Amino acid sequence: MSLLRPFSKLPELNMANVLLVGNDDTFQHVLADAIVKQENNVNVNVRLARTLPLPAENEDSRPRIDLVVLIVNLRSELSLSSTETSLKHLDTGFFLGKVCFLVTGARCTSVPHERLASLRKIAVSLHCPLLFTEDQTAKGISAAAGRVLNILRVSAGLVPLATGLGLSTLIRCSLPPDLDCQD
Amino acid sequence: MNPVLCLSLCLTPNNVFCIVVEAGTPWKGNDTVERHLAAVERVGLSRGLSPQAVSILLEFSLSLRSAIGIRVLKFLVPASTVPEEAIIRGVSWLCVDKMPVNMQVLFVRWVLTVFDLIDSKDQLRAIYGFIFNFVTEENLVRRVLVLLFITYPLLELQTRMGCQPFLMHLLSVYKVYCPELVTISVPAKMKSGFKNHNSTWKAALAAVQKSSTTELLSDLQLSVGVSQQPATRKRKLHRHLTIPAVSSSIQSQSRLSGSKVFPLEQLRTFSQLLENLHRIELPAQMGSLLGSTVALHFLDCVRDSSAFLRLNFWLGHLLHEEFIFCKDGGTQDLTEATGFLNTLISTQCFLQEGFAATELFLYKFLNIWDGSLLRPEILGLLSNIPVVPCSRIKTLLFEPLMQLFFTSSLFFKCSVIECLTNMLLKWLTWHSVYAFEDELDISVTSQTPMNMTLSGLMDSVVELVHFVGRISTIGLQLEGYHSLLLSFTLDFYMMVSDMYLKYDLPLVLMPPAGVFYPALFATDPVNLDKLCHIMYRYRTNLMSAKNQEQKMKISRKTYHEFNQYVVSMVSCLWNSRAFQPGMGLEMDEGLLSRSGVPEPWTRFSLVYHPAFLGYAVDFHENCWPERMKMDLSSIKLGKRWDWYVEFLYCQGLQGLKEFMQSSLRRQSSVGGTRATSDSQSQPPS
Repeated sequence: MSLLRPFSKLPELNMANVLLVGNDDTFQHVLADAIVKQENNVNVNVRLARTLPLPAENEDSRPRIDLVVLIVNLRSELSLSSTETSLKHLDTGFFLGKVCFLVTGARCTSVPHERLASLRKIAVSLHCPLLFTEDQTAKGISAAAGRVLNILRVSAGLVPLATGLGLSTLIRCSLPPDLDCQD
Repeated sequence: MNPVLCLSLCLTPNNVFCIVVEAGTPWKGNDTVERHLAAVERVGLSRGLSPQAVSILLEFSLSLRSAIGIRVLKFLVPASTVPEEAIIRGVSWLCVDKMPVNMQVLFVRWVLTVFDLIDSKDQLRAIYGFIFNFVTEENLVRRVLVLLFITYPLLELQTRMGCQPFLMHLLSVYKVYCPELVTISVPAKMKSGFKNHNSTWKAALAAVQKSSTTELLSDLQLSVGVSQQPATRKRKLHRHLTIPAVSSSIQSQSRLSGSKVFPLEQLRTFSQLLENLHRIELPAQMGSLLGSTVALHFLDCVRDSSAFLRLNFWLGHLLHEEFIFCKDGGTQDLTEATGFLNTLISTQCFLQEGFAATELFLYKFLNIWDGSLLRPEILGLLSNIPVVPCSRIKTLLFEPLMQLFFTSSLFFKCSVIECLTNMLLKWLTWHSVYAFEDELDISVTSQTPMNMTLSGLMDSVVELVHFVGRISTIGLQLEGYHSLLLSFTLDFYMMVSDMYLKYDLPLVLMPPAGVFYPALFATDPVNLDKLCHIMYRYRTNLMSAKNQEQKMKISRKTYHEFNQYVVSMVSCLWNSRAFQPGMGLEMDEGLLSRSGVPEPWTRFSLVYHPAFLGYAVDFHENCWPERMKMDLSSIKLGKRWDWYVEFLYCQGLQGLKEFMQSSLRRQSSVGGTRATSDSQSQPPS
């Protein structure tokens, strides 16, 4: 089992690399396009993977990964379980502000309530942010791309006076209060 | 074997044939009965049954206590309305206590489905107690509502309120309030059974009603929306994200029979409202109130807690169904949603209070929001929420907002700050309206009387102000001290600085250094001018607080912070002694010299400050038009300095003028260019 490590390679100048992990190919591609189109100041390199671990043969040519985005489609159970397996192949260093979850389909009726709840629990236990996305509309996708870029810029060290770890303490997921029991 | 009791009948919508059957006739294998039933079933499911026929058939089916009764009940689809007396007789059959449980369940569900089609509900209201008795009966509970014990407090509340389609609410409430529990405790088999029965009825009802009047159709759609069964997921999208038409629950019959009720749909003008205020009946659909201003006036006047309860239920359910639990997960056209939310916002502005249902919805929605969907509307609603108790404000509001704030764009950050400014404005306004001498009683929403003491409100306000201070400090840092964000942040503090004098809240909170210094060194004059105005307002508030010390106690720390800021500002802008010891913001001399800037202490004076440099150049050109070489330092000499300051005041920098005139005591002996910061606002000894 090969772990993906955040600090094993040197960063390049004006370069940010993001790895999108998820088994929803179409959404992944649309999102990658939107991310690349939105950023003009630095070179953003978007890499896609269905699951982790990444194949060992490309290890040398692969740049340093600044942010891992785990895309979870709540409409499918498989998406959640494959994300859970992928998490095991990330070095602990990534959880210091270089991982975020991107959730689609959270407002969908067909999604069982427990699926979101268990994902939230994972995110809370790993101190990771949970970004919700409207993946069906172009506006929603471009908003999601903007938010991923915002985190990427910080975690790639492109924003002065801000670090990925610092940002992640502000935006990491928290368990929402149980409104129904209190009212 | 059960005998067919008295009659079987065959009918068309126009005429009813009764076939009297001898008591004791066997029904099993009786072809005649079977044939008639099939005919009625066909008519019922295709065209619907007339009120009279519904009445007879209901009586017939409930009297049977057998499989035929259930079969009849299943195709009992009304074409237009259902007579009230039929329902009442049905309930009386329920009371006989010989009916099998599955029959009882089916009957109650049928009543719920056709509830909005019942022609009059006056007498029905009187026997709600009986119906409830049945619902609480254990056997029925297990079949109808697994979760009654959870929703029981709610049920009890509504029982006290009186005139409500309670059962309908009950059935829908359990799904809205605890979806996770439902999926656990309702067996899948039973759930699907539910679905089939109701969707059959509803589909049949919808098909039958298509041909009838439009008014009835809209009523039906609403009933489909409100009676929240799993089957409602099959409805067409956004079918009911519209404000329903006003229709009174009192139908023509009872109106003719002499009751002096003024139906709300006839209400057109304000004078009509005044004349008939005591006779107006609340409409069948509370949601219809949102569409009409006069109706809202009425709602505001009556202050009827059951009216608010009903409105909140309808609203909460609708918002949940359309935005949190939607069928397609968000591909729908948003124009309708935008329109609806805007109506809701303007209603809340009109009533000057937020609905509890909206508040609850927002707390849920913030946790799954992407920060872009319907942004202006959601933030508009958010700024209207009533004061959140200090103990829950962090988890309910701050944490989800913070997660969105720091990951989103600059414009989102600005709109969040603006939203929080409006929220604070609402809270302060409520306070200044409801404030009493010693103990404060804010009854923000009449349906949930929220009694909040002065200290409770102050704690919440302090939390809010600190939260904004925190997020704007870090937000400014992340966005490279963007002028736009800075401007929105200063707008917030403009309100905070005036809390005591303008809104009568005995509280003075200073901005954090992370907001103050970026504003002091801002590159645009607008923000600097705002800062000057804010400091002037702080000063005025602190002065009057000091004069009324017995009423409020401002901590020494606040005075100290304020003085520190004033010293910094005066030494930077006026005295050209920035960064020197004792002048507020200090900086190591070695570090300053390494920057290579000549005379760094003068760089933020009124002449050289980046925000004022343009004005200085302009003034220089006006003063010495013939000079080829610009020498800004000559502005500082003699009378020119006074002229220059006057020149700045004339450029619309009112805040600067207020600040300078209040905080400076000019020492004429030092030639006008030196001034000391005022010592009047020293901490009280």
